[in-house]
Amino acid sequence: MLKLFTLLSVLPVSLAALITVSIPNTPLVNPSSLPASTHATLDEHGVKLDAPITRANTFVFHNVSSGSYLLSVFCKDYAFENLRIDVTGEEERIEAWQTFRGNEWDNKGESRAGVVPGQVEVRPVVAKDYYQQRSGFSVLSFLKSPMILMALFSLVMIVGMPKLLENMDPEARAEFDEMQKTTGLGAASNPASAMQNFDLAGWMAGATSGSGSNTPAQQPEERGGKGGQRRRG
Amino acid sequence: MRWLALLLSGAWLVEPALAVFADDAFQIDHHVPLLGLPQSHTTFFHQPYAKSKASLLYTLSDKAVLGAINPRDGAIVWRQALAGPANSSNIFLRAGDGQDVVVSGVNNNIAAWAASDGRLIWSRNLGNALVHDLEIIELPDAKGNGDVLILYNDGHPVVQRLDGGSGNVKWEYIDKTGDNAFQVSTSSAHVYLISFHKAIMSGLKIRVTSLDQLTGRETDAQSLSSESDVTSPEQILYVGANSASPLIAWTDKANKALKVNILGTKTIVNLPINNSDEDDSPAITLHAPHRSTALTHFLVHYQSARSHWADVYHVNLAKSTISKAYSLPKLAGQGAFSCSTVDANVFFTRVTESEMILVSSASHGVLGRWPLAKTQSPLLPLRVTAEVAALSSSSYPTRAAVLSSNGEWTLLRNGDVSWTRPEYLTGVITATFVDLPEEQGLVHELELEGHQNALAAYVHRLTRHVNDLKALPSWLQSLPKTFMGSKSGIADSPQKDKFGFRKYIILALEDGRIAALDTTNPTSVLWSKRVLKLGPGERWSAPPELRASSRKPGIVEVWDKAAGRPIELEVETGIEAELPDSPVLGEHQGFTFELADNTIHAFSPSGHSNGAVSSSTWKFMVRTGDRIVGVAARPVNDPVASIGKVLGDRRVLYKYLDPNIALVSSVNDATGSLTVHLLDTVSGTTLHSVSYLGVDTTRTIASTVAENWFAYSFTLDDSASGSSRGHQIVISEMYESPVPNDRGPLGDASNYSSLGIDGGSQPVVPHVISQTFHIPEEIQYMTVTRTRQGITSRELLVTLADSHGIVAIPRQLLDARRPVGRDPTADEVAEGLVRYHPTLEFDPKWYLNHQREVLGVKEAITSPSNLESTSLVFAYGLDIFGTRVAPSFTFDVLGKGFNKLQMLATVAALGVGVIVVAPLVRRKQINQRWQISS
Repeated sequence: MLKLFTLLSVLPVSLAALITVSIPNTPLVNPSSLPASTHATLDEHGVKLDAPITRANTFVFHNVSSGSYLLSVFCKDYAFENLRIDVTGEEERIEAWQTFRGNEWDNKGESRAGVVPGQVEVRPVVAKDYYQQRSGFSVLSFLKSPMILMALFSLVMIVGMPKLLENMDPEARAEFDEMQKTTGLGAASNPASAMQNFDLAGWMAGATSGSGSNTPAQQPEERGGKGGQRRRG
Repeated sequence: MRWLALLLSGAWLVEPALAVFADDAFQIDHHVPLLGLPQSHTTFFHQPYAKSKASLLYTLSDKAVLGAINPRDGAIVWRQALAGPANSSNIFLRAGDGQDVVVSGVNNNIAAWAASDGRLIWSRNLGNALVHDLEIIELPDAKGNGDVLILYNDGHPVVQRLDGGSGNVKWEYIDKTGDNAFQVSTSSAHVYLISFHKAIMSGLKIRVTSLDQLTGRETDAQSLSSESDVTSPEQILYVGANSASPLIAWTDKANKALKVNILGTKTIVNLPINNSDEDDSPAITLHAPHRSTALTHFLVHYQSARSHWADVYHVNLAKSTISKAYSLPKLAGQGAFSCSTVDANVFFTRVTESEMILVSSASHGVLGRWPLAKTQSPLLPLRVTAEVAALSSSSYPTRAAVLSSNGEWTLLRNGDVSWTRPEYLTGVITATFVDLPEEQGLVHELELEGHQNALAAYVHRLTRHVNDLKALPSWLQSLPKTFMGSKSGIADSPQKDKFGFRKYIILALEDGRIAALDTTNPTSVLWSKRVLKLGPGERWSAPPELRASSRKPGIVEVWDKAAGRPIELEVETGIEAELPDSPVLGEHQGFTFELADNTIHAFSPSGHSNGAVSSSTWKFMVRTGDRIVGVAARPVNDPVASIGKVLGDRRVLYKYLDPNIALVSSVNDATGSLTVHLLDTVSGTTLHSVSYLGVDTTRTIASTVAENWFAYSFTLDDSASGSSRGHQIVISEMYESPVPNDRGPLGDASNYSSLGIDGGSQPVVPHVISQTFHIPEEIQYMTVTRTRQGITSRELLVTLADSHGIVAIPRQLLDARRPVGRDPTADEVAEGLVRYHPTLEFDPKWYLNHQREVLGVKEAITSPSNLESTSLVFAYGLDIFGTRVAPSFTFDVLGKGFNKLQMLATVAALGVGVIVVAPLVRRKQINQRWQISS
């Protein structure tokens, strides 16, 4: 008798649905390790229900009347997916799908209905990383910077080219000098002076007239040098 | 799901900048996690689980925040903000002895929480009924869960016994007699419902209904003839529970006798009120143990205006008599008592302004007496919660959490202060930054020199420099220390703070006090001063305006609307400054504005003195049915470095920069619409207005204006058909003209009028472009970072109630000119524009509070520092949070990433290189001259 009485008294409260949203155990996180400040909200027009995480890793919403709700989970450590939860009909049927921010409300994703009727599953998506690491000094990134590359290249040219010329046999040397004369770039015979005359500002400004002739001028020099060595061998 | 993850991470990757550096976190930011003022009936020491050696201090505060505190250091173990607003009469917190659960009752919600980690176990919603009382039945079931008794009024008083493990109803008793429910109480065998019924003539009769604990059946009912004494429920002093002999106590009309009834009996015992001297009517409080195994002793505490004293009584259960055991002597000043139990023994802890005394309930012998250390502000104990550990018959270490009348919560451990929590800071209603007087002083001196003739200025500067020399020896002494410790960039003393990170934050507290913090260490309060006399429970009618004085450095003006004159306080000490001729409200001010009845009235400086609304210069009314939900104005001091926005092709879009603009947002609840009006505050003209349909008008609508842009956020209403759901933010930018390199109708004119061009009636309206983004959650409040010159790019600061944080959204992403539906062109890329995406996810790296959880933050204020790159941020509401942000990185100061050792090593290596190479080069040069090249 008393039990029946209790049931009757509970009935008016349960006219609205009870929604239990659970967090499954995923490879990303064991839900039992989530902080106690984790909570979920159900949003509808003028309604905002809030439920903290329970010991059973669920969010329990009491007295949810029929409607279409947006479920958001707020957690310090993980970002969660948003769900659309519909409570429909007299029998308070509960359905849940993924929903995507910035999309139409009817654009539903996978169903997120839990195993038990009336249960809904919500999954964490990604761990939150609040911090930015300072980019420390690394040799590779240092060498990769264009300024350093340019400096290294010019260093090689300045130091390496005279050495290369000295090591050439006289025959090849004469041929090389001859070739330089024919190209008419006597002034640029010294790569160092070529580099010194290089109009960096003009090149950076994208001017093609003066600097354009400099770059190809160095190519025959190199090619000639290599060719000479090959013939000797 | 994978693509969702991709999307989320993709959105976060767009702008890798602007995060909190891992090594700056917890260094540059300060956070004071708070609970609110603990209430005496909701604060107790409790063991978080049955076999625990240490106990935690649990409280449910006046701000409805439930928390567990480690009594060792005062750190918060866990806390939960329960749905408020709560009125202290219907908040309850109970814990059963030896159980790992605390049960809270706030308004219509009963919830059981895991005592050790704060996770919810179960909750129960009472719908429209409010909880009237909550008790725990001590006898636990097989699983160790004590059942919960609740009383609520759902038309009739209803008593329910809830299962401790699940919250399900075990039995229910509905009182159909038409009485008003008051409280519920338990003894070891019975449950008592205490209700009032109106006596025939006047007054209230107390009715005690005994219920069987197991079945909830009514076994007995007693009517106590209290009608001559009691006219309102507040007059009941005490209802005990969970005791072998629960009591109910009240006083007679003349305040001469204390009337006590042991629940379940009919006899009312008259105890004389021990009022020896002229004190007319001392406040009476009862303290009795809350444990059925404890001795049935209780203490009556009398507090008069000047002194306090107490009587201890013993209850004889067999004879149902109450006898006085002993009296505690009268001591001057404020005092507070706490009752604690160890096994069956009952102890009373008395905390006065100067000492802490422990007595046993059995005899009047003092078990422990500890003098309190003298502090600056006298401890005026309001509420005490104590825990006694009986180690031996002679040693009783005691710790007591004392709430003093200034709102500080202190733990006394045998009289020594273990920690102090500034819980009164939960009541901050408004705040402002004030510069250090020293810094302002230099500016003042320089200004003085600027206005003197050359000779006088020179003499002045010379004397100033000579005076500065006095500080040289100490400066030289501190130099090595500064060099070694220059990492943080914060100086210890105000003189050395070159970066301007150190400022005072002046706070107005809801209880009528003004307090000051230091930005470099906001965890400790410098001073607090009461400027407004308010009774208990009274609040400031309107937040006062706090303003740094323009007349003298180091002074803050507190403008209370009602007072008409400001109170001027020295920021360093809080002492009221004696300045000649204080300014009067309205004087030397520009326009003043009043918002009343959904209309904004503007008064010219002369017009306001009349005070009448009819004298307003202009008024702005929203459409009928609309209500104004927010007004945001451009900050008074809002420097802008560039008047135009340079496009990728070197053309310029000129910004519409009007210092007199305000954004007024209004909603219509019937149509669900939001209208945003941009007003010229000089003429009252609407420069721009836009309406949205399908807005949830019950939610917060935040807005802000800065520079040439404004932003606002709202929640979409689902009932509007189709489209999307959630929360949105709108960014609007104002330009002089839609065409680049064009300055609009004003051209290069150096003068302009708000009233129109060349005396015409048409004002110059801006060209407004807007973009809307979906955001993940509701924004509570918006503000903008501020820097000294306005060169640094800005961030929009938003406070989030749901994720307990403050987010800085970079303006590069929140840009109204992002290309929609296509990739940006080369010019747009050069400008830094990225393709529009309808969602704007809050990257965790944007959270200024990073790992910290800033609960209940309502508003945030910003202030420029001396560094152009850096803006100071301070947020308040419940917690206190302060940090500094550098939206374009700290380009003007070496960061922690700068490796000094590496730099020194590089210099050394170069030096060595030079020494090595120099002879080689010299030899080569000499050879070159002497050798004839072939």
